Amino acid sequence: MDFNRIQTTPLSLDALLAGTESPECGALTVFSGTVRDHHEGRSVLRLKYTSHVPLAERMIREIEQATCAKFDVPLCRVVHRIGELGIGESAILAIVRSGHRAEAFAALKYLVDQVKHRVPLWKEEFYADGSSAFVTGCCIADEADDAHEHEHHHDHAHHHAAHAHAETET
Amino acid sequence: MQIQVLCYGATRRHVADDVIELALAEPATVADALNTLASTSNELGELLKQCAVAIGDELVRRNHPLHAGDELALLPPVAGG
Repeated sequence: MDFNRIQTTPLSLDALLAGTESPECGALTVFSGTVRDHHEGRSVLRLKYTSHVPLAERMIREIEQATCAKFDVPLCRVVHRIGELGIGESAILAIVRSGHRAEAFAALKYLVDQVKHRVPLWKEEFYADGSSAFVTGCCIADEADDAHEHEHHHDHAHHHAAHAHAETET
Repeated sequence: MQIQVLCYGATRRHVADDVIELALAEPATVADALNTLASTSNELGELLKQCAVAIGDELVRRNHPLHAGDELALLPPVAGG
């Protein structure tokens, strides 16, 4: 089933779980990240999330696949909301299904950490005193190098030639 | 050449609009575009050092060659969740 990983309306756990039941899975782990009313001692009224949606959609799908492979679990899903969110609303929902709980917990933590640290999403906090600020995040500039190392490891001589080569190589 | 720069996250605080037009001498790379932007503001220059850059849904490196009409997305440090 395909669905948008970046969503503009309230997130639904039921929708995320739909169709994921599997008789081989004895574990389901769920994480919801919800909006807090404080940050570093300041009172927070609401948040606004923004994203580079095309890149975020692709990266979340890649992170899901990589997490399934790394922990040998059959199912990972993540959705992240953008737009203005009030206190208590869910900004991110993530689920993992697997045979047993140990890998389900481990994969879920990895999945959420990867999305928080790598996907182009930004969090702007609005404070009680009327000011606002972007939350300091993780630099992803090296991701470009990593992506190219992965795709073009066999040919660094010319970017476009290497890229065309990578796309036609199966 | 003329390109467009799409400003995400905190980069938006240092420019006049979400999308800005940039004129560059040819040939030009991503680094040339970033240097031109950095010359407009010290604060933006510092932030650009920490920015990833994307064209479409691909992250590109500083030495990536630019073409007229490219849309360059500035991606400052991320903070999802």
